[in-house]
Amino acid sequence: MARVIVIDLSRHNTVYVGHDRYFVLHAGGPPLLVRDHCPHRGGPLSLARPTPDGRRLSCPWHGTKVGVSAVRRGCLPMVRSGDEAVVLLPDGTEPVSVLRKEVLANLPAETGPAC
Amino acid sequence: MTIIETAQSPALAAYCAQPIFRPGPDVYITGNPYRRPIGPVGPASGFAVPATLAEFLGPGQLAAGRILCNAYESDMILLPAAGLATAKDDFDLFYGDEIRRLRDTVRPGLERYAFSFLDDAVPAPPVRTLDDLQEYFLAEVGGAGAPADASGVNPAVDPAAPVGGTMRAITECRHPEEAAGLHLIQLALDALTEASAMARNLGGSYGTEQSELFKIFNDEFGYGVYGAKHSTIFKEMLASVGLRTDLHAYWNFYLTSSLIGVNYFNWLTEDHRGMFRYMAAVTYLEWLFAQGFADTGVMLRAVYGDRVDAKYCDEHAHIDVHHGRMTYENLLLGLARAHGEIVIPELVRGIEDTKLLLRLGDEDFRAQIAWADDLAAHTGTRTDARDDASVTTLRPDDPFTTGVHDADLLVEVEDGAVHVHAWATDRPHLLEKGDVLHVPAHRLHGLKAASPRARVATRTVETAERTHDA
Ligand code: FES
Repeated sequence: MARVIVIDLSRHNTVYVGHDRYFVLHAGGPPLLVRDHCPHRGGPLSLARPTPDGRRLSCPWHGTKVGVSAVRRGCLPMVRSGDEAVVLLPDGTEPVSVLRKEVLANLPAETGPAC
Repeated sequence: MTIIETAQSPALAAYCAQPIFRPGPDVYITGNPYRRPIGPVGPASGFAVPATLAEFLGPGQLAAGRILCNAYESDMILLPAAGLATAKDDFDLFYGDEIRRLRDTVRPGLERYAFSFLDDAVPAPPVRTLDDLQEYFLAEVGGAGAPADASGVNPAVDPAAPVGGTMRAITECRHPEEAAGLHLIQLALDALTEASAMARNLGGSYGTEQSELFKIFNDEFGYGVYGAKHSTIFKEMLASVGLRTDLHAYWNFYLTSSLIGVNYFNWLTEDHRGMFRYMAAVTYLEWLFAQGFADTGVMLRAVYGDRVDAKYCDEHAHIDVHHGRMTYENLLLGLARAHGEIVIPELVRGIEDTKLLLRLGDEDFRAQIAWADDLAAHTGTRTDARDDASVTTLRPDDPFTTGVHDADLLVEVEDGAVHVHAWATDRPHLLEKGDVLHVPAHRLHGLKAASPRARVATRTVETAERTHDA
């Protein structure tokens, strides 16, 4: 059976479902709760920086540029109302926790050769 | 074989005399990472005079290589797979005060002996500026067959590229499985403790390059997942082709050049003045490893067919494309940018050293498989040799060790029978009474009695007046 949690976006931006980590990404449009996992080798996309065009995240591990649209496809369904968001979690029994973390992926794009 | 008395220092003699460093009866050393026989200790100079390039494969370098490997690895955590109780006394000895004191006494002299030739062997090219360095590096990797791609970084692997060189030579051996096994054994010297030398460069405080190296280290260690750790998948590769996976099970079959190669990286990370050389050496290797491991995978599949688990090679063929780029951009050029022209000559030295060690290692390995592959062709009954026979009597349980000699030898069985171990095979070459085996200079071999008692005479070949001016 699907599980639903409610998080306060003013206080939380990260959700752990077992060992899987999701973070709130602001990439234009409504915020997304995306998996913190680079498709290359599992690098932490929350520590990625946006490319100058804002359309991709530059993974800190090996530099793969991961398209925001691809990240969006793996996001958890989330409905926001003000600071409150209702999230639909995957089926399972893993423990869930929410917390606040620094999310570099939401910082302004880096300039220079790394991007 | 007996330990030859030399003019070595008392500390060196005491180090080599430790029970864990003396040979036992076994050809393969299993279940105990602390037993590391040094074997015959040369040279007569007691290592006071650095080895020259011509002495690269001599008995002095082999002994120094084994001692230094022991010294460096007593800085690493090594535990027996069957539990510490199986080797607790040796554990206490290996990490104990006495061996560490002796190790620290002998190590600098041995390093001088083993590595000084690198400074003289190749004149350093005149690379001074960041632009020079970039141009030089790209020319070097281009010359080594891995030119940068259109975006200026190392190219993606071509899995269909025809393999040549040593990988092809292995497949063309009469006994390709033994030759491939010997190659994996040389890799095992480093791969089973993968990135342990790199770990010595992770601590401290040196800017963005430190973080970049950590990312590579993180990859080597499988992101903390044991099943993905490179040494784990290397073991799976060994096991898939029936090779032992214990650390240094094949200690007796590490070639001199392989020991020097792996010690080189431990030396540069143990003595932090070597860090710039190290970073450049790693950059050069990572760049070349991507295609190199793709070729190794092709070779292994050609030799062993479907039964080989070559994931380790596939992993490197993939991740080293990234590592080549990361090290080049962020370690080699990063350090040159951060520290300027004062470090560029050292960075260049690391690349020149590595090029030379790769070439010498390749030649050593090729010569070993060429000889070991057809010992019957080197066996006869003629004894056209000097009258300098040294005669030994061997029994099956005598201490076994392998060694090399500076001159070509003739090994004659005067009585009984002996097995010649020239590579790690369960089918060693049998010599019977009257047989004479030609052992070229610098070829690694060990003898084990195949009869209750065997008498062996060893003579120097008459024509082998080697001048060491190779
Ligand atoms: S894990 Fe993201 S680029 Fe490798």
